[in-house]
Parts: sequence; structure tokens; C-alpha cells
Amino acid sequence: MRVKKECVAMLLAGGQGTRLGALTQKIAKPAVPFGGKYRIIDFTLSNTINSGIDTIGILTQYQPFDLNQYIGNGQPWDLDRLEGGAFVLPPYQKAKSGEWYKGTANAIYQNIDFVDRYDADYVLILSGDHIYKMDYSKMLEAHIAKGAACTIAVLNVPISEASRFGIMNAKEDGEIYEFEEKPKHPKSTKASMGIYIFTWAKLKEYLIADEADKNSHNDFGKNIIPNMLGAGEKMYTYDFKGYWKDVGTISSLWEANMDLLDSGSGLDLDDPDWKIYARNMAEPPHYVGDNAIIRNSVVTEGCEIDGEVVNSVIFRGAVVERGTVIHDSIIMPDAVIRAGAKIEHSIVGWSATVSEGAKIGKKQAQADAGEWKIAVVAPESTIKAGSVVDAGEMVGEEGK
Amino acid sequence: MNTKMVGILFAAANETKLNELTIHRTTASLPFAGRYRLIDFALSSLVNSGVTRIGIITRNNYSSLMDHIRMGRDWDLNRKNGGISVFPPFVLNTSREVYKGKIEALYTVLDYLKKAPEDYVCMANCNVAANIKVDDILDEHIKRDADITILCHKASVNSSKRVLITKNDDGLVTDLSASEIPSDKEHLVSLNIYIAKKDFLIAKVEQSYARGYVEFEKDILFKEVENGKIYAHELEGHAAIIDDVKTYYNESMKVLDMSVREELFGSLRKIYTKVKDSVPTMYMNDAKVKNSLIADGCVINGTVENSILFRSVRIEEGAVVRNSIIMENGIVMRGGKISYTITDKQVVIGAGRQISGSETYPIVIVKNKIV
Repeated sequence: MRVKKECVAMLLAGGQGTRLGALTQKIAKPAVPFGGKYRIIDFTLSNTINSGIDTIGILTQYQPFDLNQYIGNGQPWDLDRLEGGAFVLPPYQKAKSGEWYKGTANAIYQNIDFVDRYDADYVLILSGDHIYKMDYSKMLEAHIAKGAACTIAVLNVPISEASRFGIMNAKEDGEIYEFEEKPKHPKSTKASMGIYIFTWAKLKEYLIADEADKNSHNDFGKNIIPNMLGAGEKMYTYDFKGYWKDVGTISSLWEANMDLLDSGSGLDLDDPDWKIYARNMAEPPHYVGDNAIIRNSVVTEGCEIDGEVVNSVIFRGAVVERGTVIHDSIIMPDAVIRAGAKIEHSIVGWSATVSEGAKIGKKQAQADAGEWKIAVVAPESTIKAGSVVDAGEMVGEEGK
Repeated sequence: MNTKMVGILFAAANETKLNELTIHRTTASLPFAGRYRLIDFALSSLVNSGVTRIGIITRNNYSSLMDHIRMGRDWDLNRKNGGISVFPPFVLNTSREVYKGKIEALYTVLDYLKKAPEDYVCMANCNVAANIKVDDILDEHIKRDADITILCHKASVNSSKRVLITKNDDGLVTDLSASEIPSDKEHLVSLNIYIAKKDFLIAKVEQSYARGYVEFEKDILFKEVENGKIYAHELEGHAAIIDDVKTYYNESMKVLDMSVREELFGSLRKIYTKVKDSVPTMYMNDAKVKNSLIADGCVINGTVENSILFRSVRIEEGAVVRNSIIMENGIVMRGGKISYTITDKQVVIGAGRQISGSETYPIVIVKNKIV
């Protein structure tokens, strides 16, 4: 028996993230770069350690190599502990069988032994594709105080958007009586953030029963939560107030990066009491040349900037040559933007090259039905000199 | 990669001439190039050359250095075998006396050197900012069967004491002399970085210590020239020796030159430093930045030209920073103007304040000062 851990976190990082297209061709969604020097997964990993939870299983499946390498022994997040720490948990061959993770619940089911090894009383289920800062220890306190079987973190969303989320209908004290997945006519505005705390003994029962059900999707939202509700388990909402964003689409990923530039957005990473940690790449400070104009933008270590950068996020090690214009865009690590290129409302993937005079994307005053038409240049691809990439177009690794 | 060499770094060198910049710290922990400490260059050069056992001999004010190094993890030196060892400056356990010269300093670590399985030693002062392929120089050292190889470069001498080298075409040192007379003429100047056969070094240190000698250069190196096994290796790449405020300022400003940055940081041999998890730098709407080196964590809403900003510096609206170096957590408030000024960590330049030094005599504002 290992040292007991009151609460173990399990981070679901296996999703392919198909809606991110070219950005997730070679890496899993949680490994996608964010905010200049981070990866999306840094937020949940940092939240976990900052909440005093030091044992976390990271469930990977799709393109795990980059993510495994990034997490390593967990040291950048202080998760290299003698007992506990960060563990990457891919599906594995067991004595009698071996299979991929069939769904979110099945992924936890297959790792029951991992949670049991730490004799955990509670398990915190997290997603690796959300940008937010949250103290899970407060949620755990609420869960324990109410003697709940399950506590679900919820965010108040505008009623007009509620039908895009899983909505929790709850009594005044937070006890959930109904769960509706993407309801046409939502009765409440409490949207599930995909963050659950379960009393482990209870969850284990339901995971085992769910696994026995051949018709199940083995999914928390579709099966486990409705089953527990149907059986009359005590389930509560936990109200989260603050910045939270699902960055599952190109448009939302772009928006969340832009939120870094807006002091009113509520996304503030410069908080000494709640640092977001990332693996450090040992780059020198960035250099700004004589021809540079940089306004309302974020620039990271290792960059060399000699062009015009406005309302943009420039990631680690990017090169922006003289005479380029970059507006409202995201330039990911080690991308090179050659002289005279013009980039607007775009995402340029890591290690991509945009050659001289290329034009990427188009300026947009507002989103069209909630979606921006963001041009995307695939990681490691090359856009030839003078090429034009339209608004909303996605250029694959073959380049253009 | 080889593991044939152990590193010995002298954390203190020429403190006195760095004046205000080393009141609170040792030369090794002097901030340089926006996010580094000087020792990062020596440590990284050794680590990137396959050296995994490094001893650091401290002298005074070494708490800032201890805080920077911690367990050596940021340089990949948290190891079971080897890794970083930091030695206090006392000559003997029974005395409180601090070592006088390098011979005494080396004598305090003789046990460490003897126990190390490596056959060669690289010893270096920490006041050199360079990205050096020490492994290549070791290969040359071995091929020549040299007792000591002196790393050197072409430079003119300032008022600090330098060892001038005369060598023949084979690299054999034929004469050494010391000079501290400023001159514009270029000489082959020692970087105070040496590669030596370990057993040779141990024997020489033991003999010299017994005779009461203290200075490595004068009492060992100069005398060994006649034995014909002292070689010099001239560095081709950029190397900055920092030993007074003027060279600190000049060498800092050289990093604004792309070719110098390329030599220091451009290769796969990275310069590692303590990780601080700063956020990226934010440029606000009134930021006007030209020809400057900017570390992470800054918030800039003023004018910055020909300057170096370390981590988490704030330049407020209307502030103007020209030809200056602002160390970590510095703040130039609204309308403040500074030029040719080095502000140490946590210095605050108040709203509307103006400070200007000159290129030949930059002003230094000491740590934590509020102007």
C-alpha cells in the first residue's frame, strides 16, 4: 500500500480534437500551444498542484508521444513527488484483454487500480482542453460538507448559449434533479464544465455496472451522470465564477488567446498566488528591432520581432521580419514570418514558414454567428511567397 | 559527449571593481542579458560539453548564488553521480579564514577532485559570458598532451589585471605576462578558463600550498611555461569578460547585436538558467520599443530604445528608457526618463524623475532603491 491520498485527479487527455483540424494532426488537443508559452494542459496541471492535489493520472490515447514528452516526470508543475506525482496512463494490455479507451468513463474504469493504489476517498475528473484558473480544493470541501456522491462544477452561461452545453437543473441548495445534454429549451443556465468530483467508492460501483452494460457509450455525460441521478444519488452543483473557456474549436482557441490582450476578459495569468506553470525551453529574452511596431500584444522569449504586430499573441521563438503586418493573430512557437507578409485574423502553427509577401486571412469586425473565420496555417508547413490564404481557410501540412 | 572532465567554478572574481553591482551578490550571480546570471554561461557550456560533475567555490555574498543554483536542476545537474557541489570559502574546517588565492581555494577542494573519477579539470572564473564548446577544446588538450590549456581571446586590456599570452603556431605558450594598463591595442588575453590534467593540477596545488604560494597564475602557471606543456586555445566565438561597470554595460549592449546573440544563444547548445515561470511580456497601446532585448513578464506602455529589460519590469505610460539596463522587477513610473543607467533589481524610478548617465560612465542605481 502506498501513502494514502485523499483525492486523486484523473485528467482526460485522450481526445483527438478533430475540430482543431491541422493543429491536432500530430498532437493531442491538450498539447496544443496557448498564450505565448503554454500548452492547453498547463492550466489543469497548474490548477491541480495549486489546489494541493499532487497525484494526477493523465489519460492519453490519441497521438500521445508529444504529450508524454511534454509532461515527462511532471517536474515543471512540481509534480515529481516521491509518492504520487504525474502519471501518463495510456491504454494497456491486461492479462485477459486489452482495448482502447472506449469512452471517458471506460478510461477511468480501466484505471481503477491506479486510483485504488492511493487508497483515494475522492476522485477529481478533469478535461485537458479548458482554459481557466480554479481552486479544486474548495470544490472538494463543498463535496465533503454535503456528503455528496458527485459534485459537478457549473458555470452560469447566457440563456441564449445554454443549448450548446450540458445543463444542470438544480434546487436552490444546489442538489441536481435533472441533467439535460444540449437542451433545445434550457430550464437553467448552469452549464457543466466537465469537472466532476466523485466519492470514489460510489463511482467505482457505477463504473463497474456501466462496463457490464453492452449498450453503454461508457461516457460520463451520457451514462454515468444520468445513471447516478436516476438511482437517486446525492449530486450537487458547485458554482464556479471566473474565466473559463472550452478551446475545442479554432474560433474559440483564437478568442481565448485574444482574451489575454483584454484586461476586462478576466483571464489574467500574471498572478503570483496562482501561477500557471509550463515546461521551459531555455530561450533568451526576445529582441525587438528598429523597424518594429508592437501594440496591444503578447510577445514571448526567444522571438525576434522587426515588423508590425498589433492585437496579437506571438509565441516562443517566433521570427517576424521587417515589413510584415500581423493583426489579430496567433503566431505559434518557432514560426517564421518573412518580410512583407500580411497576416490578419489567423493562426500560424508552430514551426510554419510564411514566405515573403504572402497574405493570410482577412480582417473581421465581428464573429459570424459566434464563429470567427480564422485562417489556419498547419504546423511545420510552408506558405510560398505571394500565396493567398482566405479567411477561414485551413492549409494542411502540404502547405500552399 | 564525454565525461572525462570535472568542472571547478570560482564564483568570485574582481568584485571590487563591479562596485554597486556586487554589494549584494557575487560576480557569478550578476544578472546579464535580460534573464541570466553570469554563472549560467559557464555552467551551460560545461553541461553542454558533457560535464556532469561541477564544484562551485564561493567566496562572499553567496546566498544569492545558492538561491539561483538550488539543486542544479535547471542545468540538468541534479544527479546521483556528480551534479553540483557548492563549497564554502573556508580554508580549513577549524578556521574561519577565507581562502586568499586560487591555490588555497583549490586546496580546499582537493578531496573532491581526488575522488572524482574524471581525468581532467576545467576551471573557470564566472565573469565570462560565452557559449564555449569545452569538449572540443578538451579533445585538443588531450591530443597535444598538454598539462594546462589556457582559453584566450583577442582583446584590448582595461584597468583590470589580465594575463597576456604569447604562443607559437602550434599553440604552445612561449611567454606569459600580467598587465593592468589600459590600452587600445589588441593582445591575446587569457579568459581565466583552464583545462588541466587532474593529477598534474593536484600535485602542483599540493606543492605550492606547502610552500605558502597563493596565486595560481603567478605561482603555478607562469612557472610552468618553461616546461613546455602549457598551451593556449584561442576562442573564435564571442566572449565577454566582465570585470567593471563599464565592461558590464558595454558587453550587455553588445547582446543587442544579432551576431552576438547568435553566438551566445543561436545553437542547440542552449544557455540554461533558473526557471521562474514568468508570463510572456505584454505590450500596451502606447508601447514604442526599438532595438531592445526584453525578457518575459514585462508590461510595457512607454518608450524603450537600445535597452535591456530583465524579467517583470514595468514601463508605464509616457516613461522613456534609452540606452539603459533595467534588472528584474524594476519600475519606471509615468513620465520617468532614464538614459545610460543601470538599475539593479526592484528599483523604482518615480513619476517624472529624470536620470541620465553617459556612455562612458553609466549611472548605477542600487538594489531596492526608490528614486
